[in-house]
Amino acid sequence: MDDEQSTDGIDRRSFLKGAAVAGVGAVIAANSAAAADAKPEAGAGDANRQGNKFITRPGSDFMVDVLKSLDIPYVASCAASSFRSLHESIVNYGGNKKPEFLTCLHEEISAGIAHGYYKASGKMLAIAAHGTVGLQHAAMGVYNAWCDRVPMLVIGGNAVDAARRRPGVEWYHCMQDPAAQFRDYTKWDDQPASLQHFAESTVRAYRMAMSPPTAPVMISCDLDLQEDPIHDANLTIPSAAPPSPPVAEAEALRAAAKMLVAAQNPLIVADRAVRNQDGVAALVRLAETLQCPVIDLGGRMNFPSSHYLCQSGNRATLVRNADVILMLEVADPWNILNGWGDPWKVARRTAKPDVKVIHITLAEFLMKSNYQDMQRYQPATIGISADAHASLTPLLDAVKRELTASRAAEMAGKADGLRKGHQAMRERAHVEAHYGWDASPITTARLATETYEAVKNEKWSLVCGETFSWPRRLWPTTEYHNMLGHSGGYGVGYNAPASVGAALANKERGIFTVSIQPDGDLLMAPSVLWTAAHFKIPLLIVMANNRAYAQEVMHLQRMANLHQRDPRTARIGNVFDDPAIQYASIAQGYGVWAEGPVTEPAQLAPALQRALKVVKGGAPALLDVVCQMR
Amino acid sequence: MKTRAAKIVAALVCGAFAAAAAAQDRPAGSPERGLKAYIELLCSSCHGTVGQGGAPPGGGPKLTPNPFPYAAFALQLRKPRLDMPAYTEKWVSDQEVADMYAYLLSIKQAPAQK
Repeated sequence: MDDEQSTDGIDRRSFLKGAAVAGVGAVIAANSAAAADAKPEAGAGDANRQGNKFITRPGSDFMVDVLKSLDIPYVASCAASSFRSLHESIVNYGGNKKPEFLTCLHEEISAGIAHGYYKASGKMLAIAAHGTVGLQHAAMGVYNAWCDRVPMLVIGGNAVDAARRRPGVEWYHCMQDPAAQFRDYTKWDDQPASLQHFAESTVRAYRMAMSPPTAPVMISCDLDLQEDPIHDANLTIPSAAPPSPPVAEAEALRAAAKMLVAAQNPLIVADRAVRNQDGVAALVRLAETLQCPVIDLGGRMNFPSSHYLCQSGNRATLVRNADVILMLEVADPWNILNGWGDPWKVARRTAKPDVKVIHITLAEFLMKSNYQDMQRYQPATIGISADAHASLTPLLDAVKRELTASRAAEMAGKADGLRKGHQAMRERAHVEAHYGWDASPITTARLATETYEAVKNEKWSLVCGETFSWPRRLWPTTEYHNMLGHSGGYGVGYNAPASVGAALANKERGIFTVSIQPDGDLLMAPSVLWTAAHFKIPLLIVMANNRAYAQEVMHLQRMANLHQRDPRTARIGNVFDDPAIQYASIAQGYGVWAEGPVTEPAQLAPALQRALKVVKGGAPALLDVVCQMR
Repeated sequence: MKTRAAKIVAALVCGAFAAAAAAQDRPAGSPERGLKAYIELLCSSCHGTVGQGGAPPGGGPKLTPNPFPYAAFALQLRKPRLDMPAYTEKWVSDQEVADMYAYLLSIKQAPAQK
């Protein structure tokens, strides 16, 4: 397909080559090779009046070239008429490769897939969503990505020119300002009025999305701009060279290093701190140099849980004793230093009143007013607005400059105690995991333990498993890809599509993907299973099926007791066990291998092995495991 | 090292001594009725069906093996420490409290760690 000569004499390979050159260097005419032959075509209406029934060079072809210049591998999308020309161009003009049209059956799924794909690969996807209604469907997924600092390019179809809209439905699906509904939780948006405008704004959007703090962006894609012939023979695609992240200022790092070296009980708290294994290694070096325990909050896999300085399970004690806390891109710093009583809404200080806080974060670069994802204000003794990942090695260098031999020896003396603390933490987790070991429904701890036993010999990645804390307590992580963290915005319906997106990325990297899938989450958008089956995405889905919105059960119990009313009614509205939903049947209906419900603990390990075999054969598999609420 | 759970246990034990007299008055409980009440009241949503405790977020501390003394158990139900809701006599009778305690006592120990 790439070698074909198009009917109007444009050699697309040359066209793309030009775009690729522009991607790494100066701005040049992307279609310069074709420019001599290409005559701007008339508008669609003019062409029709002239009896010409073909538009052989629609604007959407150029849009595809722009996407190709950005090396975007997939456009995750539920098909819609407002971007029908772009859809067709992706498939036929672009050869359906980089980007490939990734068929989704709901726009929330598109956003979730893009979310998971980025976290597994570091590569941004585009999603295309229908005007108005498709964008509304996508909204929660985009909000999750915003909260989780995940970039994606949202392409929304829209017909700007009211005089050219089809009567009826198209009007319902057009907006004066489509990005308005996203503007509170996207970094930037535009509605280009020309193809050159599209190229420049899409490249700008890409760079902005990928610049830490990373976040979604949106381009509203005009229907007529897609469908009308290309008028401009001198279109160019600007460079999209990746931006470098902002590193902390040297003097601030020196002050932070001095404080850390002088601390008697320093503590590192990491949340969305690192982006890859290099970041993990850098954090390990820093912690080892300071002999400083690390609490990994799990927004990303920041620190190996198998390392003796990983002390996440000792959080309460460590926070209480700390005199200096280094926070690394912590989403909720107030909550590290304080506890909270519900329902009486009483704050409890858990850290020392005079604890010194160093916080390296880009939060203040991305804060907006409406959505309150910024959490409660927590001042820092030294606040450093910088990218934590990029600042780790410079911070380590600064620490080494401050560290005397005698101080280093003092720090080294802490190692034995820290090793014992880590060991005790691990043993405690294993002991607690075995309480109720033979219970039915299966305990969440046994579910997590048995799943790990099944995958531990693979190069595994638990892409979603944050519903309960057992995997983080029990599974020994060493690599960045081992765990990808949670949704960010806690919008239910993230896990299933994000798992499929991450599994798609992991498939390309030879990593075995497993997710622990809550039932309530799967119910939001189960049709993502079809996408997994259709694209043969290997993914082991182990359902934690408690047949309830378990967290809401607890809220209702609390309210009923508080109001001195019957707590037994907490089931109403929260428990959906009559009839019990048959997830294996649902999955099979979408073409996914499935078993279940597994209700007895002894059934679990053999069922996992059967599912594992299917996944290793290159397909998704779902195991419905009926488990305890917590 | 004191964990939150350990602190709760300590407080409950203290409460147990304070309410020692009440402990003498514990009505005989039925494990079968206790299981029914425990499940109906959705104690299992936080503490697990066999009192094994639940994982954060939202999970409650384990109740077995080695349950709190009865007085501490009853006190925590009626006038709980921390975030657990209070269960009044209007909705949970003293007999049901005793039944649930009997249920917890009847639960067999978990197997040794594998």
